This record gives sequence, C-alpha cells and structure tokens, in this order.
Amino acid sequence: MPLWLREHSWRQTLTAVYLSLPLRGARATPANIFCSEQYLKVSIPPFLFEAVLYAPIDDTNSTAKIGNGNIFFTLYKKEPAMWDSLTLANADKEKLQYLRENAVLKAQEKAKEEMEAKKITKQEHKKYALEATMKVEEAERKRIEDLKEKERQKVTKELELWKSQQKDGDKYKSIQNKRELHQEIEPLKERKNEKMNTTQIPNEGTSKTRLKSTKGSCSIFSQNLKEEQLPAPRAAATIKVNFTPRVFPTALRESRVAEEEEWLHKQAEARRIINSDLSELEDLKEEEKNPDWLKDKGNKMFAMGDYLGAVNAYNLAVRLNNKLPLLYLNRAACHLKLRNLHKAIEDSSKALELLTPPVPDNEDARVKAHVRRGTAFCQLELYTEGLQDYEAALKIDPRNKNIEKDAEKIRHLIQGTMQSS
Amino acid sequence: AAVGGERPQIVSHVQQALSYTVFDCKWVPRSARLLCLGSAARGTGVLQLYELHGARLELLREIEKPKPIKCGTFGATSLQQRYLATGDFDGNLNIWNLEAPEIPVYSVKGHKEIINSIDGVGGLGIGEGAPEIVTGSRDGTVKVWDPRQNDTPVANMEPVQGESKRDCWTVAFGNAYNQEERVVCAGYDNGDIKLFDLKTMSLRWETNIKNGVCSVEFDRKDINMNKLVVTSLEGKFHVFDMRTQHPTKGFASVSEKVQKSTIWQVRHLPQNRDIFMTSGGSGSLHLWKYEYPAQRSKKDSEGSEMGVAGSVSILQNVTLSTQPISSLDWSPDKKGLCVCGAFDQTVRVLIVTKLNKI
Repeated sequence: MPLWLREHSWRQTLTAVYLSLPLRGARATPANIFCSEQYLKVSIPPFLFEAVLYAPIDDTNSTAKIGNGNIFFTLYKKEPAMWDSLTLANADKEKLQYLRENAVLKAQEKAKEEMEAKKITKQEHKKYALEATMKVEEAERKRIEDLKEKERQKVTKELELWKSQQKDGDKYKSIQNKRELHQEIEPLKERKNEKMNTTQIPNEGTSKTRLKSTKGSCSIFSQNLKEEQLPAPRAAATIKVNFTPRVFPTALRESRVAEEEEWLHKQAEARRIINSDLSELEDLKEEEKNPDWLKDKGNKMFAMGDYLGAVNAYNLAVRLNNKLPLLYLNRAACHLKLRNLHKAIEDSSKALELLTPPVPDNEDARVKAHVRRGTAFCQLELYTEGLQDYEAALKIDPRNKNIEKDAEKIRHLIQGTMQSS
Repeated sequence: AAVGGERPQIVSHVQQALSYTVFDCKWVPRSARLLCLGSAARGTGVLQLYELHGARLELLREIEKPKPIKCGTFGATSLQQRYLATGDFDGNLNIWNLEAPEIPVYSVKGHKEIINSIDGVGGLGIGEGAPEIVTGSRDGTVKVWDPRQNDTPVANMEPVQGESKRDCWTVAFGNAYNQEERVVCAGYDNGDIKLFDLKTMSLRWETNIKNGVCSVEFDRKDINMNKLVVTSLEGKFHVFDMRTQHPTKGFASVSEKVQKSTIWQVRHLPQNRDIFMTSGGSGSLHLWKYEYPAQRSKKDSEGSEMGVAGSVSILQNVTLSTQPISSLDWSPDKKGLCVCGAFDQTVRVLIVTKLNKI
C-alpha cells in the first residue's frame, strides 16, 4: 500500500498553476514524475502522489523543479481560466482509472512520435553529409580530368603544328626534287652539247655555276657517290650455336622449374625400374613380371610352409615394384618363421614406412607389422622395444585379446629381469 | 629525378579498333603515318597504312597478303625509298614498296617456320655500312640478309648438327658504328641470350636469364654498343652494360621485376637513349630511366676489367588494356609520340609528355 503524499500546496494565475509538493525525506529523480495532459503522478516507492487535474495543461512546456526535499511544479494551463480547485472534485474510481490509462497511453504515443521524428532528422542529416562528400569528390575528379584534358589539347596542338611542318617539308622536298631532276637533265644536256662543241666554254662555265648554286643537285651527286661506297654484301658464313639444354619444348619460366624437376625425377625413377629389370628378366614369363601375381604365389608358398620360396617370390616382386607395403609385410612374416629376425625387423619397418598415412583402411596391415616387429624384438630379447611395438598395435586395435595377452607376458618378463638384476 | 607534377604523363591520344589481330605496328619514318601488320581471321596477312589527322586515324591503304604477317621493320631502307621488310608466319622475308605493294621488291623463303622477329640496320641515314636485315625464327636459326643478295643469307646462326632446336623469339642489331663492325643479339625461349659478332663471324657472348627472352634491344644500333635491355617472361627485365666485357663474367647487369605477367616489348626513346618503355602482358606500359653509376668499370681481384651496372627507376606507368600490348614503336620524328598494338585488336597512339624535363 503506497503512502499517499497529501501535504501539497498550490497557487494559480490565469495561465499557470504552481504546485509545491514536499517529499517526506524521499529523494526524487525525473523518472519518478509522470505527467500528461490532465494527470500528474509522482511515485517514489513507497510514497505516491497523484492528481487528476481540474483542466488540461500543456505538459510539454510545464516544468518540475526538484530540490530542498520538495518538488515545485510549474504547470501551464491549456486554456487560461481560473480553476476552482487543483483536482477534479467528484472524480469517481472508474473515471480515475480511465484517465490514468488514457494518460499513460498518450504518453507512450508521444514518446513514439518523438522517436520517429528523431530518426527522420538523423536520416536527413546522413543524406546531407553523403551528398556533401560526393560533391567534394566529384569536384576533385573533375579538376584532375580538366588538367588531363588541358595536357591533351596542348599536345594535340603541338602535333598539328609538327604535322603541318612535315607537310611543308614534304612540299619543299618535292619541289626540290623536281628542281633537282630538272637540274640533272640540264647539265647532262649541257655535257652532251659540250662533247659536240668543245669550244663552247662560256656554256660550260654557266652550267658549272648553275650546278654549284643549287644545293639540291649536290646532294644527288653525293648520294650517288655514297651508294658506290657501300661495302659489298658480306661473305656468307655460318655460326654454329649450342643451346642451354632443356627437355621440355615449352619456354623456360622460373616459377615452373620446381614442377618440371619433380616430373623429370619421377620419369627417371620409372625408367630406372623398367630398365634395370629388362635385361635379367627377359626370360621370365609374362605373369611372373606382375608383382601381384608374385605376391599371391608367395602367399601360397607361405601357407604350404615353403618359406624360402615365398621369400624369393617376394624379393622378385619388390624388384619390380618397391612401393607395395604388403610385400614387405609378408616377407617379414617369412623371415620370422625362418628366424631371420633382423631381416624381419627391417621389412616390418619398411612396411610401416609405406603404410603412412595411418588411416582406418590400413589398420590391419599396420597392426600386423607392429606385431611382427614386436615378436622379432622379443626373440632377440630386446623386450622394451618389443613392448613398444605391441603397445602401438594395441593402440590401433584395442580389442585384440591375443595382443593384450602377449603384451602382458612381455611386461612380466621385463619386470622379472629388472627384479633379478 | 622527376618529381610530382613534373613526371612524364602517358596520354592516350587516339584509339583505333581493328578487325584483325595486330602483331606489329611501326611509324613510317619522316611522316605522321603508321603501319599495322597482322593476321586476319581468315588466316591471311593484313597491312594497313594509317595517317594521323588530329584526334583520329585515317586509313590510307589496306593490303592483303596470303600469309599472316608477324613483324616488320624500316631499319634497312633508305629515307627516299622507305621500303618495308616483313616476316610472316610461313618463314618468308619480303621487302615491299608501299606505293606498289603487289609484288615484293625482295622475297625469300628464309626459314622453315614462323619468323618471330626482324630488325634492320644501315638504312634511314643512320649509321654506316651495308643495309642488312636479321630474322629470328621458331626453327631455331637467326639469319642475316643483304637485300642485294638473293636467296642466301650472308650469315646464318644455326644449331649444331643433332642439337634439338629452341625457338628464337627476338633479334636486334647493334654496335654498327662503322662499316665493318656489327653485332646481332638473339634471345631464345629457353632463356638463352647470344651475341654474335658479324665482323669475326663468331659467338661473342652468351648467357641464360632463366626465363624465356621476349625482346632485346640495344639503346642505339649505330654506336659502340652501350646498353642492352632484355625482357622476359615472368615480368622481369635486365639492363646489361655492354661497354666492358669480363672474360668469364661477361657483362654487368641490373634487373627489375615489374609485374607477374610477361614483358612483351622494350623500346628505347630515339631522342634519349637512357629512357625506354616496356609493355606488359597485363596491358600496361612502364616508362623507365637508366642512371649510370659513378664508375662504369672497375678492376676485379685478378686485375681484369669488369663493368658496373647502374640503376633503373620508373618514371610513369599506365594500364591501357586488359590484353597484352605486344608491339610498341616510338616515332623517330616527334619526341614522345608512340604507337602500341594490343591483342584486344586495338592500336593506340600515345603521347608521353614532359620528356624534355628528364
């Protein structure tokens, strides 16, 4: 139950109402005050003051001053008129309720409208700012364009000038050529006449001077001389050329060199394998050159107990293709049976190398390799290494009981030797 | 060094779309005309002669030939005649009079496979000595021709008997400072660069730059050989200082990696031999300047002279196309004017400004 604040005092003028509300020690903030056109509420829990005003007020311009344990309201009346009292006297509960709700709704609407207005102004400001930047950039661009255009025009003018000079030059030259031709014919004619009348000295003289006066004709003669001075065509010869060797017919690019090297390397590998066997294995049957067929043969011999034969088959298969892990794996098994323990270890290791990356597909093979190598180690009494391999096998296949049993046995053996030593 | 606003700008002046693949473009000396050589879709060769009129190119002549044309040069012709020497996809070397292009002035089936590159020396009033043309072909040989001698080359650089051939991708003349001296530099697809001396008819120097060689050019053909720029696959180029040859180490060089794509061409500015432009497989052009070191040669531990390479700095770069720019030519008459042809079937005339300030 709120505590009603009733000790308020008020006075009024024609246009305004001044309300003073003492707060019994409570501190007020703007959030505690709610005011609408005809309803005023101050709620500072647990205190509450509300008033349904006699007449509507202009709530946007009215003010509330908080201070000195007191709120001082200055409410501007919508219609200047003297109020009989601050609040509506005969306000029943329903009306009160209605007014209250109405007030709240109105306040909310107002708040919404204000927000909308704010948003709109913000957008307009943004648009304006954008347009302003665009204008500035446009101006900058235009300035640069203008500079460039000016350059171009200047240059075009220069070009035209040069061209017209060229044209004039050509014209001059063609005139000169004509004159030269004319000049050439003249002295020739003169010379012919000379041969006929050797006594015509004055003519000779004039022709000579005519010759000398035009510089065009001089150039013809000098050019003829020049032509005669050109060396004879060179004596034909051949220079033999060696190129930096390159296998590929394409052009050399630095960025491709690594790829090319790799390709060549692989080609060389393949060729080596084929070539090394060709000579010795010419007398082998076709099927015997197939590593898979040889592997099967080896497996069969192993099953029958012919371990040496199996090893031979696997050896041949490896020579043909040394990248098949199963060959090494099976050969390891043979070596175990033959008690060639070191060879067994070697082959199991090679098999494991080839069985990278470790994927679920080659799990079985890897387990077998580890087990075989482990067995070989143990038989050489290198129990710690053997245990390592067994544990690796267990890691791959934890559910294999046999491996577990064997691993246990080895552990006991190790502990036994440690205890005894 | 060029700073900020004083840097040369590469301005695109005219663009011309073509209906064929353009393999080479060349300015006609002493004129505002340019030539485009290439291959039409139906497998024939195309020669187009354009004239620069203001902001556009006007087509003056179009000539069709039976085989696609790969490369051309005006290097071995006189200024009056201005005959064009071309190499085509079939290995034929032809010299054409553009006024009467129906019958070639000189023709020879020089190679068994496509002529990749051609160069000429001794013409255009530059240098001394007989005019000669060199062609490099996919058949692995480099041959030097004299237009006065039919059918047989005056020099033939061919692989040793039994040696598997490598494609020759580029050739260039150099060192033609008097009537006797001349060298030919050839670049091959396996990264070999070979320098042949035509006076002594021998191999003067060879090296391998580990990437196929796309383009070689001396900074000037008609002087004592000074610098050689070699461009290659994988976006690299090397500048060799050719003044000092060490007995074992050869020539000193500096190299730059520009981009990931091939550098198709290098061309030196005719008016300034220390500026050159490279064109790339990414459709870009880079303008470079070479700076000489304080001392161009020094003595090594055994007392033999060895060269010291300088440094290369970039002046400007621009991307014009999405396809490789395979050919480039500076105008010998107007400084900064150049034409480039790209595989997007477009030929572009560019102007490089502010070259005077370098």
